[in-house]
Formats: sequence, C-alpha cells, structure tokens
Amino acid sequence: MVPVYHFLWLGAFLFCAGLMVIITKRNAIMVLLGIELMLNASNLNLVAFNQLHPAHLSGQMFALFVIIVAVCEAAVGLAIVLRVYQHYQTSVPDEVTDLKD
Amino acid sequence: MNFVTILFYFFEAVAALAALSLVLVRNVFYGALILVVCLLSLAAIYVLAFAEFVAVTQILIYAGGILVVIIFGVMLTAKIAGKPLVVKHTNVWGGTLACVALFTLLLYFLSSQKFFEDGKDKMQAADTAINTIGFGLMTEFVLPFEVAGILLLAALIGAAVIASSIKSRNV
Amino acid sequence: MPETQTHYTTFFEVCLLLVVLLPLVSFVVSGRIPQRYSWVVTFTAPLFLLISAIGAIYIFTAVWHHQPYIARVNWFTIGGTLVSAGVYLNDIAALMLLVVTFISFLVHLYSTGYMAGDAGLTRYFAMLGFFTFSMLGIVLADSLLLMFVFWELVGFSSYMLIGHWTEKDEAAAAAKKAFLLNRIGDAGFLVGLMLIWAYTGTFDIVQLSDINEVFSWQTAASLCLFAGVIGKSAQFPLLTWLPDAMEGPTPVSALIHAATMVAAGVFLLARVYFLFTPAALDVIAGIGILTALMAALSALVQFDIKKILAYSTISQLGLMVAAIGAGAPAAAILHLFTHAFFKAGLFLGAGIIIHVLHQAQQQAHEHFNVQDIRNLGGLRKKLPFTFCAFVICGCALAGIPFFSGFLSKDAILTAITHWKGDGFSWKWIVLASAFIVSFLTVIYTFRMIWTVFMGEEKRTASLPVVEPPVIMRGPVAILAVCSVWLLVDINPVNFEGWLFNTLHADGNFHIGIISIVSALWVILAVSVAYFMFRSKTIHDDLLLNNFYLDKLYFKIVENPSWRLAVFTDYFDRRWIDGFIHASAYAQVTVSHLVGWFDRAIVDGTVNGIASLSRGVGNFTRSFQGGKIQSYILWAILAIIIFLIWILF
Repeated sequence: MVPVYHFLWLGAFLFCAGLMVIITKRNAIMVLLGIELMLNASNLNLVAFNQLHPAHLSGQMFALFVIIVAVCEAAVGLAIVLRVYQHYQTSVPDEVTDLKD
Repeated sequence: MNFVTILFYFFEAVAALAALSLVLVRNVFYGALILVVCLLSLAAIYVLAFAEFVAVTQILIYAGGILVVIIFGVMLTAKIAGKPLVVKHTNVWGGTLACVALFTLLLYFLSSQKFFEDGKDKMQAADTAINTIGFGLMTEFVLPFEVAGILLLAALIGAAVIASSIKSRNV
Repeated sequence: MPETQTHYTTFFEVCLLLVVLLPLVSFVVSGRIPQRYSWVVTFTAPLFLLISAIGAIYIFTAVWHHQPYIARVNWFTIGGTLVSAGVYLNDIAALMLLVVTFISFLVHLYSTGYMAGDAGLTRYFAMLGFFTFSMLGIVLADSLLLMFVFWELVGFSSYMLIGHWTEKDEAAAAAKKAFLLNRIGDAGFLVGLMLIWAYTGTFDIVQLSDINEVFSWQTAASLCLFAGVIGKSAQFPLLTWLPDAMEGPTPVSALIHAATMVAAGVFLLARVYFLFTPAALDVIAGIGILTALMAALSALVQFDIKKILAYSTISQLGLMVAAIGAGAPAAAILHLFTHAFFKAGLFLGAGIIIHVLHQAQQQAHEHFNVQDIRNLGGLRKKLPFTFCAFVICGCALAGIPFFSGFLSKDAILTAITHWKGDGFSWKWIVLASAFIVSFLTVIYTFRMIWTVFMGEEKRTASLPVVEPPVIMRGPVAILAVCSVWLLVDINPVNFEGWLFNTLHADGNFHIGIISIVSALWVILAVSVAYFMFRSKTIHDDLLLNNFYLDKLYFKIVENPSWRLAVFTDYFDRRWIDGFIHASAYAQVTVSHLVGWFDRAIVDGTVNGIASLSRGVGNFTRSFQGGKIQSYILWAILAIIIFLIWILF
C-alpha cells in the first residue's frame, strides 16, 4: 500500500505550485486556476488524513464540501473577472487600482 | 511494489509535472488544459486512496463544470480573437523564494511530525464507503449539506447577476 | 475794582473788540482775495484800519486819565494753576493803541500808492493787518505769557515783511538775520518768564505790580526780560539786524522798524517797570546810552538814506531805554510817542523819494542806486512838498525847538539829570553821552537833508521827477503836522503837557536850564553841521560798518559755530553714521545668520521630519500599491517568518 506521507508531500507541492501561480501570473483567470490548484491540494490532504479514522469518513466529507465551496468560488470569481474585464478592459489584477490611496 | 503502487506514483508524477508546468506556462488556455490534466490525475489518486465518491465528484465538477466555465472565461476575456492570450509574470523572484521556503518548511514539518501510528501509515480501504457517506450526508452532515445547497444557489444567482451584461447598472 | 467796570460801557467793549479784530479781519480778507482782484485789497485794508483807528481814538479818550480797563477770560489750566488771558488797558496801553492803529492806518493808506502793481500785494496787506493785530495784542495783553505769544507773532510778521520781496537775496538774508537775532533775545525773555513764574507764580501784570517785596533773582529775571527788549528794540549786542531790515518795503520800515514794533521793547519796559531793580536799571541805562552813541556815530557816515534812518532809530531807541534806566518811563514813552510820528514821517518821506525816483528811472531808462545819497542832491526844486515835510520831521528828530522832538528829548535829558540825585556818579557820563548823542543827531540829520535836497542836482538832474499822488502825500503831511510842539503841549518849551503829567504823577519835574542848554546846544550843532557838511562828506569805514559788529559777530559767533557745525557734521558723518552703519551691517549679518539658521536648521528640521515621514509613508504605501499579488506575497513571507519563529 502507498504510504500516507506521499499524499501529503504531493499536497504540499501542489499547494506551493498553486501559490506560485497566484503570485506570479499577471492574469486573473490564471490566478483563479492557482486557487483551484491550492484547493485541490488541501482536498488531497483531507482525503489523506481521512486515514486517521478510516471508518468515519469525515475527511472525505470535508473534501466534498470543499469542492462545493470551490465551485461557488469559481463561479462567482469568474463572474467578477468578466465584469472587471467589461469595466476596465483588462484582466490584469494589478491594473485594477481604484481603491489605491 | 505492485501495480497499484506504480499507478499511484505515475499519477503522482503526472500531477506534480502538471502543476509545475502550470507555473511555467504563459498561455492561459494551455494553463486551463494543464489544470484539467492535473485534476484528473488527482481524481485517479483519490481512487487509489479509496475515496471513490470524492474522485467521481472531482471529475464531474472540476473537469465537467469548472473547467468549462474557465475556458469560457478565457474566451470572453481575450482581447483579440484568434490570438493566444499570453500572460506576463510578476514577482518572480519573490514568489519563488516564498514558495520554495514554504515548501521546504512543509517538508520539514511533515518529516519531523509523526501523524500516524506505526502500521497505520498506509492507505487502508474502508468498507461501504459510499453507504457511509450517503448516511452521513442525510444524518450527521445534513445541516452542512443543506447550507451547501443554499450556498450553491446563492453563488449561481450571484454569478449570473454579476456577469450579466446590463450596462446601465454599471456595477 | 468795581468802579472800573461800571465806568466802561458795552459800547466801549464792542469798540475795543473792533479795534483789535478789524486788523485780523483785514488779514483774513486780504489773504482770501484772489490774485486777480488784488486791487480790492487797496480799498478794504485801509478802510478796516480807518475804522480801527477811529475806534482807537474813542477808546483813548475813554481810558485816558481814568481807571484801567481790565477784562480777562480763563485761558487754560495747567496742573492746578489757572492761566488767564485778558486785556489790561491802562494809560500807556491806550496811548500805544492809538499810535499803532493811527500810524498803521496811515501806512496802509500810503502803501496803496507805494506798493501799487506789486505782485505780492495781497500778501503784503495781509501781513500788515496781521502785524497790526499782533502789535495790538502786545499792547493790550494783561499777562506776560500772552504778551510773549504776540511778541513772537510780531517777530514773525516782521520776518515776512522784511522778506516781502522774496526774489531779493539780501531781503531773504535780512529777514533771516532779523528773525534769528530776535530769537536770541526772545530766549532771554522766555527764561525771564520762567524765573518770574518760579518766584511769583503768576504772569498777570496787575498781580505782579501788587507784589511789593523784592523776590530773589528779581534782577536776573528783569534782565532776562530786558534781553527780549534788546532783541526787539535792537539794543547794543543785537542791533545789527535793524539796518539790514531796511531791505523790506519802505512803509514797512516806517511802521514796524521805526514807529511800533521796535518801540514795543520800550513799551514792555515801561509796562513792567515796577519789576526792575535798581541794579537792573543801571544796566539798562548803560546799554541804552551805549547803543544810542554807537548808532548815532554810525548814522553819521552812512550813504544809504534808509540806513541813516535806521541807525537814527536805533539811536533814539537807545535814548528811550536809557531814560527808562534813569527811572523815567514817562519821558521814554513821551519820546516814543513823538518819535513814532516824526520817524514814520521821515521814512515815508524817504519812501516818496525812492518811489518817485524809481518811476522816473523807469521812464528815462536810467539806473542807479536811488537810496545812495551820494547820487542825490537838489531835490527841493522838484519835490517841494516832500522837502517841506522832510525838513519838519527832520527838525523834530534833531530836536530843534518848536518841534515835538525837542520837548521829548528835553524830558529824557531832564530825567537823566534827576537820576541818582545831585551827587557825583557815573550818571554824568550818561548825561554827557546823551548830550553828545543829541549833538550827533543834529549833525546826521542835517547831513542827510542837506545832501538830498540842497546843493546841485547830481544824477537826478535829467530825470523827470514829479511829486507822488496825494494818497502818498497825505500821510506824510499828517505825520509832519504831528511833529510840531503842539502835539505835546501848547507851551513850546515845556514838555510837561497832557501826556507827561498823566504818566508821571510827581509834579515839578521840569528844569528850565536844561531846555535852554539843550536849545543852545542844538543851535551850535546846526552851525557846526552847516560848516562841516555844506560841501563835503566824511567817510569812515569803522563807523560805516557800525564798528564792525557784524564782522565781530562773524568772527566770534558765526565762525566758531560754523567750525563747530563742520566738526559736528564730520563727527556725525564719521562716527555716528559710522556707528549706525556698523550696527546696521552687524544687524544685517546677524539677520543673515539667523536667516540661514532658520532656513537650514529650523526649517531643515521641520522639512526633514516632513520628508522623513513622507519617505516612510511612500515606503509603506509601496506595500499597498493596489497590487493584490504583492499583498499575497508579503502575506506569505510574513507567514513564513511567523512559522520559523514558532517552530524554531
């Protein structure tokens, strides 16, 4: 059987990759992709830690709810990105600076 | 090292490479496709971790729902039709530093902590997992389940309202 | 004095007010009339003065030989002391009032002819009116302070009138000189006023006359008052301004510098005679007789007809002052009275000569100095009227019997004879000097008349000289008539007439032998003069320049003060200015330093703090540049640091 730690290593790597995407990409959709990646990393951890109480399955249950929240986040986030694009004619998050001092 | 283990490491490598290429890729559309690859391999890993229900949900929602939405978003935000949407990078060195440091920290953390007792640190199959999940959703997790439904409804309406093209509202 | 006020009616007071104020009205009216209508002044000004003179005659008759008229109002209060201003009209003042208004009227009348066509006609008549008003103020003032005020106003109008022809440099210089020398005397007057105030606490003449005991410093105080008289009446140290003042118009010389203003000094002495101590009177007599002698000697050799008259005036004033010093103010006032008429007559006569010769010169286009008697001669044929008037007035001046001057001079000689008893004292020197003066008076008068009117015509031979208009001859005629003995008394050899007896209460003053000696003396003088001056003139630089008094003053006063002025100027420029400049530079330097400190340190601190906070603000703001991904990066780095801190 596969050791649980390998799941955790992969989760850590995916999390860091998603964070890297969020920080470096100058495009709102890519940022959203990074967020999805990070959510999946946490999902992977939840599934892995489900092994602490295999019979209870609460880890998998949390993973399901996280997926639901991710769906909501993706839908609303994309809607906002579209709206921002209509309004500012750009999808670069750095160029939307109306709330700057 | 049996077949399942080989599959696991294969998918793990695919997911890791996809994530890495997502970091490096500059085209948003390619990024979306790479993310699909990554998510599908994650779904395979879920299956190998005996979480079939989560894996199916992953495939349905991510590959079937979110990615389609994202690809539509890519199309709608492309300035010049037909030309690939190329993304520039920013904060490259700072971001690299932060992520490498965080990854190092996490690895150090994972290796220094002992989460599982000896003998239980291997993936175990849980019997009647789908049954248990179904009962759980209807009994123990019924309140989060209903709330999640309302949340989805609200997100649906909100997304529709925000993305609607009635310009007079002007946000 | 209750009976004083009942004696005088309201009509009298109105008349007095008219007499005093009409000259002032004339001043205002003349000053207001525009240049184009200046001819109006020649009617209004004499008219005002005529009314004033008529009023003065009424007032004189009302006051003469009666109780003095006193009226006063509160002038101002200083500290707790009330200073009043008012009128004190006694016999002397009434006489002076009459003389001033009468002669002023005649001079106004005469001036309408003499000054006809002058550019500054309105100014001239305005100042004449102002002078008359001020002079009446001196005459009527009941307190020494008020008198001092008018004393200064008289000096001012004299200054204006001497310098009337402003285009003449000599006139301007003479006016300045007269003003400055008068100021010297007036400074003494002021000191005398302070002394009197300090010791008696009053300026009121009536109150002062009631003080019987001699207060300390009284000699000094009275001598200080006499210093004012020295300035105003051109006595010994300060006599040089009067000959120079002849640069003014001749009627002005007649009114101010012969008849009235210079006599104001004598009037003041007579008015406050009770203040003078015997010692002060000795000094006064000495100075008076010295002045009389000096001026008479100088008058002998002058060539300018007006300067002869000016020195003669000084000489006669000296005699009056000497008479006061000899304790006979009545004699001095008598001489003042007669002198005012005949000297004004002489001046106006000289004015006629100057005037007609000027006009003749303009017609004939010939120019020479008409005031220089060396250019004149034989004018009796062309100016018979002037000749007659001049001779009458000249006889009065010389003291020929049957003329007023003889009587008044007699009174002075008698007064000096009576002075200090019969014992031997230096009064005999004074008496001898007085006789010498009267002898010299005859000689210079004879010389003047002879040179101008007798002999052959010199440079005037070819000139078309005619008598002046009647408006100029009239005043001269009146003054000539007033120069005969009838003015004093019906008796031509006794001066104790209506005037003297009123002013001098003690009877039995007259000494017959003096009159006889005086008459013989005069006849001797006339004969000497006749033989001396029939053909030649004497010339003496010492006397011509009045003993070089001016040069002496220049040497001992003007030169040192000039040097002092140069030195102080140098001192001022070099040291005081240098000091001021140095302090100014120092201040500027300090200011620059302070300014630099302010800018560099104070402002620098403030600006430094401001730019520091701005830099901090910019630095912190750069974290919030609206860049979401940067926020995330920083947040992650913070979390990493936090984790490291937690874990290790």
